[in-house]
Amino acid sequence: MSDAGPLVEVDGLTFRYRRATEPAIRDISLTIAPGEVLLVAGPSGCGKSTLIRAMNGLIPHAYPGGLEGSVRLEGRLTTELKLRDIALCVGTVLQDPAKQIVGATVEAELAFGPENLGVPRGEIRELIGLVAEQAGIEPLLGRETAALSGGERQLLAMAGILMMRPRLYVVDEPLANLDPRSADRLLEILRGLADRGNAVVIVEHRVEEALQLRPDRVLYLDGGVARYLGPVEGFLEIADPRAVKLPFEVVLARAAAGTLSEPPPDAASAAADEPAADAPPRLAFEAVDASIGDHRILHGVDASLGRREVVAILGPNGSGKTTAFRTAMQLLPVTAGRILVDGLDSKGRGTADLATIFGYVFQSPSQMLFARSVREELAFGPTNLRRDPALLDELIADCLRRTALDGLEGIQERAPLSLSFGQQKRLALAIALALEPATLILDEPSAGQDHRTAEAFMREVLAIPGLQSVYFITHDVDLALTHADRILLFRDGRIVADGPPKEVIVDEARWRACNLTPTSLMQANTRWGGDDDRFLDAESLALRIVRSGQTAPVGTEGGSTSTLLD
Amino acid sequence: MNIAPRYLGRGSWLARRDPRTIILVVALVGITVIQIWDIRIVLIMLLGAQLWYRSARIPFRLVKRQWLFVTFFVSLIVLWNTILTGGEVGGFQREQMHVLFHLPLLGTPIAAETLSYGVTQYARFFTFATLGFTMAYAIAPADLGVAFARLRVPEKFAYAIDLTFRFIPSLGNDLQTTIDAQKVRGHEWDKGKGGPIAKLRRTVPLVVPLTMNAIVNAEDTIDAMDLRAFGTGRRSWYRELVYDRTDRLIVAAVVALLVTFTVLGFAGVTSRTYVFPFLLDLAGG
Amino acid sequence: MSTMALSKAGLWEVNSRTIVYAAIGAALYGVLGFLINIVIPGSNNVSVRPAYALVPFFGFAFGPIVGLFTGLVGNALLDQLSGYGAFTAWNWSIANGLAGLLAGVFAVMVADRMSTPTTRIVGAGVVAVAATLVGFLFVFTDIWVFGNSFEAALTGSYGWVIVPNLIAAVIITPILAAAWEPLKEAIGR
Ligand SMILES: Nc1ncnc2c1ncn2[C@@H]1O[C@H](COP(=O)(O)OP(=O)(O)OP(=O)(O)O)[C@@H](O)[C@H]1O
Ligand SMILES: Nc1ncnc2c1ncn2[C@@H]1O[C@H](COP(=O)(O)OP(=O)(O)OP(=O)(O)O)[C@@H](O)[C@H]1O
Ligand SMILES: [Mg+2]
Ligand SMILES: [Mg+2]
Repeated sequence: MSDAGPLVEVDGLTFRYRRATEPAIRDISLTIAPGEVLLVAGPSGCGKSTLIRAMNGLIPHAYPGGLEGSVRLEGRLTTELKLRDIALCVGTVLQDPAKQIVGATVEAELAFGPENLGVPRGEIRELIGLVAEQAGIEPLLGRETAALSGGERQLLAMAGILMMRPRLYVVDEPLANLDPRSADRLLEILRGLADRGNAVVIVEHRVEEALQLRPDRVLYLDGGVARYLGPVEGFLEIADPRAVKLPFEVVLARAAAGTLSEPPPDAASAAADEPAADAPPRLAFEAVDASIGDHRILHGVDASLGRREVVAILGPNGSGKTTAFRTAMQLLPVTAGRILVDGLDSKGRGTADLATIFGYVFQSPSQMLFARSVREELAFGPTNLRRDPALLDELIADCLRRTALDGLEGIQERAPLSLSFGQQKRLALAIALALEPATLILDEPSAGQDHRTAEAFMREVLAIPGLQSVYFITHDVDLALTHADRILLFRDGRIVADGPPKEVIVDEARWRACNLTPTSLMQANTRWGGDDDRFLDAESLALRIVRSGQTAPVGTEGGSTSTLLD
Repeated sequence: MNIAPRYLGRGSWLARRDPRTIILVVALVGITVIQIWDIRIVLIMLLGAQLWYRSARIPFRLVKRQWLFVTFFVSLIVLWNTILTGGEVGGFQREQMHVLFHLPLLGTPIAAETLSYGVTQYARFFTFATLGFTMAYAIAPADLGVAFARLRVPEKFAYAIDLTFRFIPSLGNDLQTTIDAQKVRGHEWDKGKGGPIAKLRRTVPLVVPLTMNAIVNAEDTIDAMDLRAFGTGRRSWYRELVYDRTDRLIVAAVVALLVTFTVLGFAGVTSRTYVFPFLLDLAGG
Repeated sequence: MSTMALSKAGLWEVNSRTIVYAAIGAALYGVLGFLINIVIPGSNNVSVRPAYALVPFFGFAFGPIVGLFTGLVGNALLDQLSGYGAFTAWNWSIANGLAGLLAGVFAVMVADRMSTPTTRIVGAGVVAVAATLVGFLFVFTDIWVFGNSFEAALTGSYGWVIVPNLIAAVIITPILAAAWEPLKEAIGR
């Protein structure tokens, strides 16, 4: 390895995908030296993954298209190198770990890269030992990959790349699937790699967390163009806090400097409309047990979720959050205890019947789309439940209106699978609304979306007219705290905390035991928030602090993130 | 949803063999038996196959359903074959046959030859099944892909088998999610009225999303493979299979068996149906 | 490549794309076939497997190699999962594989006539039927394997399998092709 030259030189790079009319990235130039960490940030679709593909050789070797400019790895053009040689130099962890794991067992996955390079068995065995230790995944050896949690998979994908011993590590949005504790672990590994003279490129819009990696420089992409390339401080001054998630101190400083625009008005929350009557809760768990196969998942869950309430459910990967709601929808049997819906035992009620009370929106929208057109897709549920066909047209139009899909031209005749991810998510919502439920249950509404989109989606959901309550499961702590009236904290199939956001976060030990870390926004809310139980989002809180004149200098807060900034 | 082959032979003598041996025995003995129509030899083969199968110690009650189905299936085939040919099975001509009785209603003549042939078909079929079952229950599911890979089938084909096994559990979970998601919309594929066509149509809301999602997700899997230099040169295989002396002996014996009976078959020694003499006596031939 | 399956160039090429689609096709056939089949009432255990429709579909959409693997390995896998062993009905697995392979070949032969989405969807149905009818001729090897007469193989083996498979191919394969139409343009390289 030569320390003399840069590892990567990108020069005037423009790339257009074969079937696209516009380039996905335009005129990008940058160099990366050994030991350097580059953070790439930017909104969805801005070309981050495309830039990565150009660095790891998939462009032009696997993706043909219009390529101008050049990418050099250790002085050699990627167009002239073979993918095999590039693989020895650049290791890439793709966006979704579940899709890139090719081995049925952890060892098979780790061995895959070296096997392709023809490395002898003995050497692979040694490497596995080393890498497992480095990535901290020794306990996973011997397990089947299908049985791993999302967080474990992400670490395994990283380890699979470590096996190839490349000099440049490229990771695409590694934090999205991780609970905060696992995220810390991954960032540590990456930092260690850079300290040992490798280069790291990390794509991430959760800038607050990514700063922990102490990146040397930031590349901010928007619309395929580099808007900023330089040190972190300069980036924090210009970044739009609504597009990427910044530490609260930065937002506050921007507010103080008067460069923060007014946030959209908070939509009247569904729960705020009417005061709750003495009616029974919408959904009550009474000492509920549930099992999958022989494996007991829920251990005496007790909770009641109100008729007019926004409830967020937080907890580590695999703690039983999804299982609890699948049980409530009668998709899994209750093995002990009972579940009451509007005060009545729900035993014996069918799933479809319950769906008219709870609109259940699954995490991945495409897993239920099958019809030729959006119209047919929306009509499916009501038809199954034998609703009056005469009212169908009106119902469909109404659902599309409530989910802001009616703006798309000819939406009713479009093929559901041809919609973008964000549009499919709305369609999934519209499908749930077509059964006219009073309550929505959302499983990870923010998954697969950037900060701005997730935030906007949640706002829109809460503003849907005619809904009484919304219950949502999420890993995004700030999303939960700012939108929910109440938080349920899951751990190991039990509820360990239940109350308004302000109360739930008080016990920091418990918070951390649920693999959650205190965010800067959370600490700021505790410190400066008002007397009401609600948490404010970063911009609103910053503006409020500035207006009330109690501005504090950045960095005095002893929180976890401020120390990362020095 | 948990879908995996049932590894019922776990820990048995047979399961400790190299999976390649088990596969080779099924294949080579299978081809041997196909060429044999002499019931005396088929029965010896069946006995050998049964001993081989027994060494996997598969509890019968767990595979009763499979055995019942095989029995039902072979009975149907033998009976159907007999009826359709009017008893002229296995190349015997009506004139040469020694009729024992006629089937009620149908009137199909049943001769010594017909019965002998039917019994031979049964025995052959059971030999195939006995051998085949060892593959279903005595190979660790995780080893199956690797075993094929090491049987010198083309490398890429072998890896595709490995990858197939990798996709099974995740597709099983995806199918469960899709079934649940459609249930929430009031759709249950296995409930409701109508004939087979209507039932078939009711599976569309499951088959379509599952398939299309799998295809879309494949995009990333392909990238991940390319990025780790898949298919750019000769691979090595990390997983080790132990092919010991016993395995070598078994495979050698099986190859010898195949060669012997291929020669005998071509010489016409074992490829002809053996007609039981006592049946001929009975028919007064 | 996804669209290249409809052209002659690269029809028999095997790359990581072919391998992943092949593995997915086979795994889908195994999983769906195992969990979802419809026993025709009153018929002795004849069942319609909607999963069969995947075989001609994968051949049609991704080429003969993918089709071959989907049918061959998919059917063997299904037998393995059901507890009969992957090799027990080996000649039927080959028949499935041939149907997939032929779907890929036929698709190229009629590619010129499938220039609009509608003709492609109809084409998928026609190709699926033709590939099924021809590919499953291989089950006539039952004559050699089990010693059946021609008549018994025609009605017992071929007829037994062809009727439910044709039903699945006619109804489900075009639906899959239709769902694939808009996706085809959105994904791929
Ligand atoms: N295979 C492809 N073929 C055609 N266009 C593509 C392809 N992949 C991406 N694009 C387009 O290129 C642009 C940039 O996409 P890219 O995936 O690089 O964005 P991104 O910044 O990684 O977004 P995200 O945060 O959502 O992952 C988008 O407009 C996208 O639609
Ligand atoms: N189909 C299944 N088969 C077997 N075990 C399962 C299945 N689905 C979930 N589990 C197990 O049940 C437990 C709880 O899973 P659940 O999906 O409810 O977790 P979760 O809290 O929603 O996690 P995440 O945040 O990762 O979505 C986990 O240990 C998981 O491994
Ligand atoms: Mg991306
Ligand atoms: Mg979950």
